Amino acid sequence: MGNKSNDKILGIDRETFRNFMGKYGVSVVMVIMIIAIALYKPVFLKPANIINVITQISINAMLAFGMCLCITIGGIDLTVGAQIALVSVISAKCIVEFGMPIILGAIIGIAVATVFGALNGFLIARFNMFPFVVTLSMQLVIRGAAQVISGGKAITVGNDVKNIYYGKFLGVAIPIWLTIIVFVIMYIMFHWTKLGRYILAVGGNAHAAVASGIKEFNIRLICHTISGFLAGIGAIIMLAKTGSGQSNLGVGYETDAVAAAVIGGTSFAGGIATMPGVMIGIFIIGFIYNGINMIGINANWQSIIRGLVIIGTVMLDSAINGKSRK
Amino acid sequence: MKKLLVLSGAAVLAMSMAVCAESAGDVNGDGIIKVGYISKNLTDPFHGPINAHAEETFDQLVADGVIDEWTGVLDGQTMADVQINAANDCITLGCDYVFIAPCEAEASDPAVTQMADAGIKVVVFNSMTTSTEEVAWVFSGSDDVYAGTLLGQWVLDNCPDGGKYIHCNGILGNSAQIQRTEGMHSVMDEHEEFEMVADEDTQWSGEKAATAAENALAQYGEELVAIICDNDDMSSAAQSACNAQGRNDVICIGVDGNQTPLEMVKAGELGATVLQDGVGQLQAGIDAMVADINGEPQEQEAGNIFMVPFVLVTAENVDEYLK
Repeated sequence: MGNKSNDKILGIDRETFRNFMGKYGVSVVMVIMIIAIALYKPVFLKPANIINVITQISINAMLAFGMCLCITIGGIDLTVGAQIALVSVISAKCIVEFGMPIILGAIIGIAVATVFGALNGFLIARFNMFPFVVTLSMQLVIRGAAQVISGGKAITVGNDVKNIYYGKFLGVAIPIWLTIIVFVIMYIMFHWTKLGRYILAVGGNAHAAVASGIKEFNIRLICHTISGFLAGIGAIIMLAKTGSGQSNLGVGYETDAVAAAVIGGTSFAGGIATMPGVMIGIFIIGFIYNGINMIGINANWQSIIRGLVIIGTVMLDSAINGKSRK
Repeated sequence: MKKLLVLSGAAVLAMSMAVCAESAGDVNGDGIIKVGYISKNLTDPFHGPINAHAEETFDQLVADGVIDEWTGVLDGQTMADVQINAANDCITLGCDYVFIAPCEAEASDPAVTQMADAGIKVVVFNSMTTSTEEVAWVFSGSDDVYAGTLLGQWVLDNCPDGGKYIHCNGILGNSAQIQRTEGMHSVMDEHEEFEMVADEDTQWSGEKAATAAENALAQYGEELVAIICDNDDMSSAAQSACNAQGRNDVICIGVDGNQTPLEMVKAGELGATVLQDGVGQLQAGIDAMVADINGEPQEQEAGNIFMVPFVLVTAENVDEYLK
């Protein structure tokens, strides 16, 4: 093998370089991406545009953090897009038709999403069913419930609700606050508490985790419940953004959430994830969408470009981190 | 001294007028005329030709120097919040005019209002959002309620004895779905000899409409006389399903004038379809913009609304519309 530590990459010791890229590889990809788009279209770096992107990613951020937990325990949550539809409809109905205060309507909607999340976790953990199958089927149930409740019609909410998306607190848009708060809480939970270590342990090796006294059932239940809860918050942001609760919102949103989690280094094999990584993944997805519009890439190629950029990012990351991620 | 003042005053006036003349069309005053185009989606056969027309026309306008830049076709992905994001991007890019084909009447509305608030001249085409009439600069579309009445009338004319029919909906909540359904009911509900036996949630999908047709044929057999669809992807698929079972007599009709239904009309497999001139709708908006840039007074109907007529296409006139 030779003495690798004598090799230099870009003038940096190979091992140091590896460690650096292992930790910050995706961030490097993101920075390269930002520079590339900005060189082509300087307007991309205008503060207004960057704030736009950070606001726009808030919905996907909520879904991706939850998705990351579910993927980390070796599962997936395909219901998040449908949860958006259901919560938007329930909350809009509570607020508009039953005249409830906004906060109460939002809480009821989020509570319903949390219950459905818990139900996902229960079915998966209690009956040992495949998460893919459970959440794929629940997705139909949840979107169906949204259709039944809304009767397929749009429920329009007023400007007071829209302010949750368009309003500002201390000069910063509320969705940005929500993203920051959720990120901080998720970071502390995942990296500083026992629960976080248990989640990684169950994902890494469920048998070993059980043998060491971790209750696998509880961990799975908790992860899916959190995913449902966060999808509920994402749904309220969506409701505020579009000003309308309807059953066709959020179709296909699980795709971007999975992509963000995976770009952020979450391993489908389970047991590997970091919250900062996922946050970067969320940013990269946001920059892809925004960058494509800024650059004005030919319409019919946009979807292909999006797919290729995601694959490229994950490939680059796993090439850099090949050893540590397997 | 006085002379100098008058002279300099005149010079200032002349210069400001020159600036004004130059900036006709440069709505935000940044020195260039930039146009945004937010599509409904890139996948729908009805919107494909419209997007292609946009690409061709705006490229030409840039080449001719009428406008300086355009954004290219931004993909709305049939998702309201994606359209809102695209609207924000158009604001950031400094667009003066933005064309948008909204995918939702309610949920896409913030896209229109935000751009209007930012001072952009918004051209809403194809279908309206709730505040289009108040805030959009121009709306160019077609009267979907009228299209719905054409659907009903075709069935009345071709099934004088009445019977059972099913209705295949577009995506529920979409303004075209709501209005076409309303128009259809306004005609059919006056005729007691007709009974609507199913109101299917077929979501603009031909495949779902074909399934609905098969189910209805199995359930009602000879009693089923017609299938009324909110678009003609669905009516052509439903007709194909009926024809496959030897039921060419079932009258299927829908709205749009997509390529496949037109070809079926030509081949005698489909009785008729109602053509919506989507390209014409976009063009009406573009004409309004070009007139505005050239400083021409505009020929317009009330509230900057341009209505492009629907056409009933049958075997007799199909050649005019089949490309």
